[in-house]
Amino acid sequence: MDPFESIKATFFQECEELLTDMESGLLAMEQGDDDSETINAVFRAVHSVKGGAGAFGLEELIRFAHVFETVLDEMRSGKLHLTDEVAKVLLRASDVLADHVAAARSGGSVDEGRTVGMIADLQGLIDQDRAAELGLNEDGDTSAVEEDFGFVPVVLSLDEPAADAPEVDVAALMAAAAAPPEVPTADGAGTAGAPFWRVTFRPKAEMYAKANEAALVLRELARLGDVEVALDASAVPPLDQLSAEQAYLTWTIRLSGDKSEAEVREVFEFVEDDCDLEVTREGEAVAEISEPSFAADEDASASAVEAAAAAPLDLDALLARVSTPPAEPAAPTAPAPEPVAAAPLPAATPPAQDPARLDVAGLIALAEKASQDHAQTQSTPAKAEPKADQKAEARAAAGPATAATPTIRVDLDRVDRLINAVGELVIQQAMLSQRVFESGLARSSDVALGLEDLELLTREIQDSVMAIRAQPVKSVFQRMPRLVREVADMVGKKVRLVMDGENTEVDKTVIERLSDPITHMLRNAIDHGLETPEEREAGGKAAEGTVRLAALHRGGRIVIEVQDDGRGINRPRVRGIAVAKGLIAEDAVLSDDEIDNLIFLPGFSTADVVSDISGRGVGMDVVKRSIQALGGRISITSEPGKGSKFSMSLPLTLAVLDGMVVSAADQTLVAPLSNIVESLTPRAEDVHLIGGRDAVICIRDTFVPLIDVGVALGFRDTPLPPASGVAVLVESEGGGKAALLVEAIQGQRQVVIKSLEANYQHIHGVAAATILGDGRVALILDVDALVTTSRRKAPRIEKRMAV
Amino acid sequence: MTDADANIAEVSLCPVLDLQAAEPLRAELLALRGRPLQIDASQVSRLGGLCLQVLLSARISWAEDGLPLRIEQASEGFLEQLAAFGAPQINFEPEGAHL
Repeated sequence: MDPFESIKATFFQECEELLTDMESGLLAMEQGDDDSETINAVFRAVHSVKGGAGAFGLEELIRFAHVFETVLDEMRSGKLHLTDEVAKVLLRASDVLADHVAAARSGGSVDEGRTVGMIADLQGLIDQDRAAELGLNEDGDTSAVEEDFGFVPVVLSLDEPAADAPEVDVAALMAAAAAPPEVPTADGAGTAGAPFWRVTFRPKAEMYAKANEAALVLRELARLGDVEVALDASAVPPLDQLSAEQAYLTWTIRLSGDKSEAEVREVFEFVEDDCDLEVTREGEAVAEISEPSFAADEDASASAVEAAAAAPLDLDALLARVSTPPAEPAAPTAPAPEPVAAAPLPAATPPAQDPARLDVAGLIALAEKASQDHAQTQSTPAKAEPKADQKAEARAAAGPATAATPTIRVDLDRVDRLINAVGELVIQQAMLSQRVFESGLARSSDVALGLEDLELLTREIQDSVMAIRAQPVKSVFQRMPRLVREVADMVGKKVRLVMDGENTEVDKTVIERLSDPITHMLRNAIDHGLETPEEREAGGKAAEGTVRLAALHRGGRIVIEVQDDGRGINRPRVRGIAVAKGLIAEDAVLSDDEIDNLIFLPGFSTADVVSDISGRGVGMDVVKRSIQALGGRISITSEPGKGSKFSMSLPLTLAVLDGMVVSAADQTLVAPLSNIVESLTPRAEDVHLIGGRDAVICIRDTFVPLIDVGVALGFRDTPLPPASGVAVLVESEGGGKAALLVEAIQGQRQVVIKSLEANYQHIHGVAAATILGDGRVALILDVDALVTTSRRKAPRIEKRMAV
Repeated sequence: MTDADANIAEVSLCPVLDLQAAEPLRAELLALRGRPLQIDASQVSRLGGLCLQVLLSARISWAEDGLPLRIEQASEGFLEQLAAFGAPQINFEPEGAHL
């Protein structure tokens, strides 16, 4: 792949994670969490998305992210307070942002109307003056920005741009600087009427190392307006002393146009930690520079350190002095906006028009202050705007976060190969132990002991490998809040989604297939389960309904619950529909539970009107089938007026299975442990034949069908005398029970599942296969299929006899 | 331009001059030091800051040696990006150096 494309792919992967972080932060905010760390986290996420988008020139995405980010920034700085309304707008904005990312990824386009509307909504959150000030409005008058900042630091330039001389030497610079009227940037427009930005940009090696490119940044900057770029290459050493990955270049860019400082800085946002950056506003090109200050500038940090060590300085007084330059009597030489020049090492001079009041200690102190701030913010002129401090804070906060446990991305394919290999290893190991055991070696022999260690190790490897694929269900859950918001909007209901247990881990193969059933169950809960706000209020409930989505581990399985506090299942109506559709007999006697479970029957829909949301032909039966396909089961409990709860239980992985190894007709079979309720030795008097053919067994006063596995799978034709075998009571996903009659139970074992469909073909009654320790293939029983077909067993036999 | 022509080193720049290209380029140019250099920039589609540094550094070294260094057949992309970088001078012609 083109390296650029692969970087882009990585960006989109990161975007996904960032969007997740953003959404969880916003959801916390919706719950009233206005902790600055939460807001910062959301801000950082949006900011990073925007930064990345900038690098790839994704204009639409940048434009929207910028507005979004600006609003968040207002929140960070405490100018905008978190309210319910704000949180809702932000959440919707996050959906739009996700759309933009998706569109940028697929190369599609975004609903322009929605974006524009969203931008308007976001702008509506901050008042218009601020919006203009922040450069959110296209026609924002940026001169207002300047006036707003009562104090702009006076920073001194070390390297005036010398466009025609790439190798600027210091002497030339000093000469140029000492003769301000000849400064190249003056170029006739240098009067107060045409202010411009002077940007000094010095990348560090880290910036290049992170695959950021100075050229891209410069190009971005050029989009903002007319630029004049001057390169200072004086630091570049001769070729033999050059380290190719060091950074030696400094650019000084003069940018005309009326962009706000925020907009200019925005260009550098992706790289600001890895470069030295100065952005200063210059109203005219006159920058009076005094020699002593220049000298101080030369090695500002060094002298500052010395000075700091030598004498305690009254910084406050100095700062106070600096903060009032416009009031100085000698002001005429400095019409507003304040003359400001950029410097790579920001050494601030006191007001240039008042050199007499300068003392060297003060100057050094000032330089020190500036370089301190510089070190802190790296790129933000000291105190230029309130944002500066917060940015530093945000970065400090971001520090520990980025130092979190390192992760790598691995192709799922590779993990699968590893899992397969480990599966083989487990099988080989089992075979080896069996061989050793059969060869009659003593249990205490070195070989046997070594083998035991090997077994422990193998088990550990297997667990670790499984853990690689295990992922929190969060990745599925995180998509649900949006779904709920959209569905709720569509049906005009108020819904609060409560999620629980997002960190419950489950195998990747299961996760991928959880999304559809959960989506369906949530839609169902909102559309059918919850009442409209009016109905709820009439029923004495809060207008806002609650849907709870939870994941938990229970008995080696993962359980997903979707619970609503709606009206519950209307049993008479469900029954009525089932009768009307001919799904049950009119006079059938059904328990409440059985009625509830009718909604899982194919072709069942309780909605009177087929809505857009649910009930479009695919009903709960589809959910049930997809869950069963995963080896899971679904059940419903409901209380009229109080709500319903769907819970589905799924195996944690589809790669290994806890099974009961049984034998029937000389075949070794595996019954999934999750299906097994109990096992017993049937007594002859408990077994009855119905119609002379179908056996049932009486277990604790209930009759369940007795299925002879050997016969059902066609291993033999004559049934096993019940008393000579073992009955394993199993429960199918549908809740139906049956007893499987086998010859013997060998034991419980974890087996590696090998797909029969992939390697051979589907066989009715067999779910998959595994390889046993002795190398033989054992079939894994499909209990559901066996139970449901037990009723059709008789005709099959007759047919076979007829042949 | 007679006997020296034989001694002229020629280097063709690779299309993407990014982070990864910087060190190889440096090594390549360094190996040619002491000879007049012609750099063919016709294939260049992307010029990054690090490679720009290498070229500028080469110019310094060649200037020290008093040997000419020329960019030839610069591609549009190369010129465009050079301009975006502030159009630094890379060619070096020693005075009266028509060897």
